[in-house]
Amino acid sequence: MSGKIGATARKSTKKSSRGRTNSARGLTEPRWNSNVLFTVGLVVLAAVMIGGLIAISKLGGDDPAPAGSTAANEALVRSDSHKLSTAADGKVTVVEFLDFECESCGAAYPGVEKLRAEYKDKITYVVRYFPIQSHPNAMNAARAAEAAAKQGKFEAMYVKLFDNQTTWGHKQEAQTKAFEGYAREIGLDLGKFRADVADASTEQRITKDSDDGQTVGVQGTPTFFINGERFTDDATYEGLKAAVDAALAK
Amino acid sequence: MSTRRATATVGRRESGQPPAPAVNPLPVSLRTLGWILAIGGAIGATAAFVLIVEKIELLQDASYVPSCSINPILSCGSVMSTDQAAVFGFPNPLLGAAGFPIVATIGVALLAGATLPRWFWLGLHAGTLFGVGLVHWLIFQSLYRIGALCPYCMIVWVVTIAVFWYVTLHNLTSGYLPIPVRARRAVAALAKLHTAVLTAWFLIIVALTGEAFWTYWRTLP
Repeated sequence: MSGKIGATARKSTKKSSRGRTNSARGLTEPRWNSNVLFTVGLVVLAAVMIGGLIAISKLGGDDPAPAGSTAANEALVRSDSHKLSTAADGKVTVVEFLDFECESCGAAYPGVEKLRAEYKDKITYVVRYFPIQSHPNAMNAARAAEAAAKQGKFEAMYVKLFDNQTTWGHKQEAQTKAFEGYAREIGLDLGKFRADVADASTEQRITKDSDDGQTVGVQGTPTFFINGERFTDDATYEGLKAAVDAALAK
Repeated sequence: MSTRRATATVGRRESGQPPAPAVNPLPVSLRTLGWILAIGGAIGATAAFVLIVEKIELLQDASYVPSCSINPILSCGSVMSTDQAAVFGFPNPLLGAAGFPIVATIGVALLAGATLPRWFWLGLHAGTLFGVGLVHWLIFQSLYRIGALCPYCMIVWVVTIAVFWYVTLHNLTSGYLPIPVRARRAVAALAKLHTAVLTAWFLIIVALTGEAFWTYWRTLP
């Protein structure tokens, strides 16, 4: 960046500036001028800060618990976790961490419904909240589901939310009206529903779920666990069915 | 140097004379600026072109997964299908595919030794100002409204900001843009720390992105 190459115009520019001798420039200019120092300094500072943040979040015990460990199994299904179905023999448990606004969850939903219909009393199906911060109404939708759960209608709201995901999803405005509409349609006490949606304990309950998700290493939604083991295939009906069949056959 | 004299030198420059003494030295040579514009323009044009191709694929087949849709956060598909991806009623990358080649061509012209008049530089500045404004609006939308990042779009963010910054520095230090006497020392300082300013600019965006997708980043293995 000595600025000498082929620009006569630039030479005259320099001569007039701050009285620096043009001919000496480039020779006397230190290699590590203040610009380079500041730039490198900024990059180093940023690297240290990012490294520090990562170290803090790791030290903070946020490391996912290893799959199959007692801690992981406890975090996967809590006593208050919502179960859409319960297996008579308790042999196979499917846990889904979901975000009602996430498109991939909406895409997986028909397959999940088909599976649930088919394996009604053969599998325990557990739904855990994992609202993604960047989805504007993910938390609101989870609140609506939790408020419905308080009136024993979690499943009905879960179905409503996914059936109508394209109607209320990916909108900047709070979709309170839409959610209240679903509450009315599934026969909830609207006064209680509104109060529960606004109640701080509702959000705490949802956050508890997503904290558990982070404990077991959930990175995105939907994430399925089948008998404590993370399901890594495509979240399609066929994929899930194969995994459930394999677990049942064990 | 009085403002009046600055105006006078500008007039002379327009008549084809070599540029006269300027307010502050441009921290990079015109040749380096030429490279920045040529390479920046070429990268931007390529990214815009790829985005258009992906958009066409997506239009032909709604289930098409763009090459840059890696996961729910790094996803061109979910960004490309938003209203914000067509601010003016047509896909945004069409602007890039038209604009970036111009930037690249100007860069090559500078490398070839072209001397461009003041009005030309101001025109380039206006264009890049529009670009940088649009890019920051899109960054805001991507981080806080759409909630997904599109890798090719982020390449466009980077080159647009870099090109804008160096064109701005050129026009400020050459006196093409009138600056009040009081602001000259500040401009000189910024010009001297040109890559530091650009780095800080990028790091702010990195920090905002990190914050906006914090849960995502920290759950990465």
